[in-house]
Amino acid sequence: MANHYLSGKEIRAIAKQNAKEIKRLEAYKNRRAPESEYLTQMHDDANILEIDDLHSYFFTEQGVVKAVNGVSFNIPKNSTVGIVGESGCGKSVTSMSVMRLLQGPAGQIVSGEIRFKAKYGDATKVYDIAKMPIRDIYKIRGDQIAMIFQEPMTSLNPVFTIGQQLDEVTFIHRPDATKEEAKAKSIEMLNLVGIAMPERVYAAFPHELSGGMRQRVMISMALASNPRLIIADEPTTALDVTIQAQILDLLRDLKNKIDGSIMLITHDLGVIAEMADYVVVMYAGRVIEKGTVQEIFHNPMHPYTIGLQKSKPTLQSDSDTLFNIPGNVPNPIDMPDHCYFKERCSQCTKACSGEYPGMIQVSPTHFVACHLYNEEAKA
Amino acid sequence: MKDSQEIEVQETMDTEVPLDKNVRLMSPTQMLVRRFFRSKLSIIGLVMIISLFLFCFAGPLVYTRWSQTDIDKSGMLDYATSEMTYEINGVTYTMQQTLETSKSDNMLSAPSATHPLGTDDQGYDVLIRLMQGGRVSLLVSFLTVFLLTVFGVLMGGIAGYFGGWVDNVIMRICDVLICLPGIPILLIISAAMDGWVAAGMVPESSRIYILMIFLTFISWPGTARLVRGQILSLREQEYMVAAEAMGYSTSRKIFKHLVPNVMPQLIVQMSLSLGSMILYEATLSYLNMGIKAPYTAWGTMINIITTNPDILENHLHVWVPAGICIVIAVLGFNFVGDGLRDALDPKARR
Amino acid sequence: MSDKHTRALLEVEHLRKAFPLKKTLTGKVTQELVAVDDVSFTLNAGETLGIVGESGCGKTTLGRTILKLHSASGGRIWFDGKDITDYKSSQMREIRKQMQIIFQDPYSSLPPRSTVGGILSEPVEVHKIVPRAEIKDYVLNLMDKCGLRDYYYERYPHEFSGGQRQRICIARALSVNPKLVVCDEPVSALDVSIQAQIINLLKQLQQDMNLAYLFISHDLSVVKFISDKIGVMYLGSMVEYGTKEDIFAHPLHPYTQALFSAIPHPDPDVKMERIVLKGDIPSPANPPKGCRFHTRCPYAKDICKEVPPTYKDFGGGHCAACHLLG
Repeated sequence: MANHYLSGKEIRAIAKQNAKEIKRLEAYKNRRAPESEYLTQMHDDANILEIDDLHSYFFTEQGVVKAVNGVSFNIPKNSTVGIVGESGCGKSVTSMSVMRLLQGPAGQIVSGEIRFKAKYGDATKVYDIAKMPIRDIYKIRGDQIAMIFQEPMTSLNPVFTIGQQLDEVTFIHRPDATKEEAKAKSIEMLNLVGIAMPERVYAAFPHELSGGMRQRVMISMALASNPRLIIADEPTTALDVTIQAQILDLLRDLKNKIDGSIMLITHDLGVIAEMADYVVVMYAGRVIEKGTVQEIFHNPMHPYTIGLQKSKPTLQSDSDTLFNIPGNVPNPIDMPDHCYFKERCSQCTKACSGEYPGMIQVSPTHFVACHLYNEEAKA
Repeated sequence: MKDSQEIEVQETMDTEVPLDKNVRLMSPTQMLVRRFFRSKLSIIGLVMIISLFLFCFAGPLVYTRWSQTDIDKSGMLDYATSEMTYEINGVTYTMQQTLETSKSDNMLSAPSATHPLGTDDQGYDVLIRLMQGGRVSLLVSFLTVFLLTVFGVLMGGIAGYFGGWVDNVIMRICDVLICLPGIPILLIISAAMDGWVAAGMVPESSRIYILMIFLTFISWPGTARLVRGQILSLREQEYMVAAEAMGYSTSRKIFKHLVPNVMPQLIVQMSLSLGSMILYEATLSYLNMGIKAPYTAWGTMINIITTNPDILENHLHVWVPAGICIVIAVLGFNFVGDGLRDALDPKARR
Repeated sequence: MSDKHTRALLEVEHLRKAFPLKKTLTGKVTQELVAVDDVSFTLNAGETLGIVGESGCGKTTLGRTILKLHSASGGRIWFDGKDITDYKSSQMREIRKQMQIIFQDPYSSLPPRSTVGGILSEPVEVHKIVPRAEIKDYVLNLMDKCGLRDYYYERYPHEFSGGQRQRICIARALSVNPKLVVCDEPVSALDVSIQAQIINLLKQLQQDMNLAYLFISHDLSVVKFISDKIGVMYLGSMVEYGTKEDIFAHPLHPYTQALFSAIPHPDPDVKMERIVLKGDIPSPANPPKGCRFHTRCPYAKDICKEVPPTYKDFGGGHCAACHLLG
């Protein structure tokens, strides 16, 4: 929400600037390029995905929204990385960038690298997804990386049966498969996600299934191509708690079965604590803290992470008032170059008015972007 | 629940980032206007409509040389002389006869200083008739759209708000009316009206208004459906439930909470139907069912070409300006309507 | 059930609400959806009753039926010593100012074309809470109480974020000095850090104005935080009801137990024994016979499939409906 109204002149200036940028980025996105141009090397071979200084912007009428503003983190093999943050912090945009699903022309990856290790049989190739022309994206999207969305009500096509939609996935990846093979594979996938009567679900239309069932179908669809990485964008937010427990159990099971990694995006710290091995905390388009799940939950360092954990009432706590972080998530247009959390932070110091804090390494896996620890390090 | 006394009660004041106090205040209506003027096409549409109105309503005040019913009688007379010779009883009589032919009006003259757009086949000045005809066309369509909207809002509002069997009855009436073909019905009514006019029951000048009232009668279902749909969706909005929970009266709920929120969509619908009403009027007049001489409308002016193919080919100045006016009016209203719609729903533009 | 004995602020007895699904041509209902079935509880002034349950359990319908936004199909609602069950809408108009509602979605619950001042002064004007000349001062005072700055008076809802809008909704509900406020998932649509602000505000206002809350939520931890008593609903009926301490210390009903254990624990090292319920919530249009929970209950016996359990008091007002509890 913009806090000020722009004059006609300003709007035209912004539109002109945006049009120029969008034209350049769209041309880059739609270009043809040999594979060699976007092949690269992983910095650490244990990782399956490395995001390096990613910038994804939305060019809107009000100005450039820096939804993802220099995000870096890695997803190691066979692990679950949880991305946590409030609405508008850029966690979904990060996942959309990895899938190259940003809605153009407004949404664009501006710079940065997304290195992904794709595996075809025994051969591995490392692609820089950010540099890939959009026409080549089929090499990874849906095949090597699959996505599960928040809204199981709307992510299935209502006019086709579950079976038709599942078979289609098989046909895309194995065009030579027969109808029977596709059906067998679909039923197998439905079995895998714990659907009791796969034959009946196979013939059903989406509206005949409950939310939890639909989410299972979505998961089975994502698994159909044996992906190396599953991106789950708030997979349980729309579900009831008892159904959420089922789906989380399922996801945990599957991760072990399919030998892949999960990127789990959620705003629910409880889900993160249960599921994730590593946690990335985002705020206003930046990573403010990342580390292993133990480090983030037992030794949170950034005032925002601490506040977030304290402000959620839990079944275990017995206090009378909740801690609350004052203020509101800032407007991501025209961000000043100081810590974005400054206005809401109770431990704000002089240094915070200075430039945006860099990532400070606290332990081999624990990083935090806060001036508080900078001074400690100096002293 | 332990040591609850000791825990400091936290500041419950709004600690969110305050809105800037000095920021210019904008109501939703102002924002709508602003977004409307951001689009070039809607500005063009507005300019088109305003200039048409100026042309039709202010024009005749400036251009007073001719009036709508003035026939230019300055046409030249033709003389034909013939001689006849009779022989009666050996005497030869010669009789000379001069015939003055009746081409007394200045008909179908080309554009000139006296007639900037020439004259038509009756000797009327085309420019003044274009202005006067525009008045009729615009007035008739405005009137129709106004009636149509009032009626449609009333019926749609009743159907949407009360629901149940009331809704059912009104919507079924709508279904029936939508099934009726507009032009054939109007043809029949017009034929019937010829008889009424001949019998003196209806003055000739008001026949178009009567026709348009019939048109209103068969075209209100569109508006009624729109209003009903809007009200149904608004009724589900929680602020309407809140109004119910507040114990507001029914009339307050309808007029203070529902109607203002239907208005924007209604205005869009109105501006779009203005365009189609102008076309309807033109069609009726073209089929010689609307305005008849000595009065005129844009459609009537084009109708001339049906009586004389020569005019279609050789006297473009008589009928093309009326056609251009119709196109400008319809385009203008549609541009404005589209602009308003986009301004209302900025996300739907792509 | 006489009118004479002193009653709590709100008493609900065997409340039932059914929506017709199918009707014959003559208007006879052949199939109905029972959204609320035989629910009873009492709520005293200044107390908070939390209603927890999953989607489709009828908690929203319960709240709206109590406010008489739906008419009840059976049972009685006593509000402030009066039986309002059969009140006509003209009679309700007077009662309305004593019972208010706050909604989940702060975006659709404010009319988009009125200013904040307009939204807040309209109920004051309609119900003649203060003389006309004092309305503005009254509203500004109210805004201050709800943590809204005075210059918001001239602003429109679209300029505010979710948390601020929810404050406006709270101020609107409180503008008529209600005794009871039904909070229908008031914080579910908000971010965690904003949730905490709103919950604290609700608690503060309860103390200041002696409000009774009927707090409806699917989020057990929020309900636990704000409530004095808790009712757990499943498929339209209340399966367990008691004080917060009783319910959390000794949950009796298997559904309550499963609900508690399904909530993820925000500590990575705690690995809880979890009761994961099998299957989905049955459709309320076609609920199972006998105990409604038996299709998913890990302890279901034969009797559960046939006979609906009775709702019994297990001491100190801690009630539950389950055959296992004898």
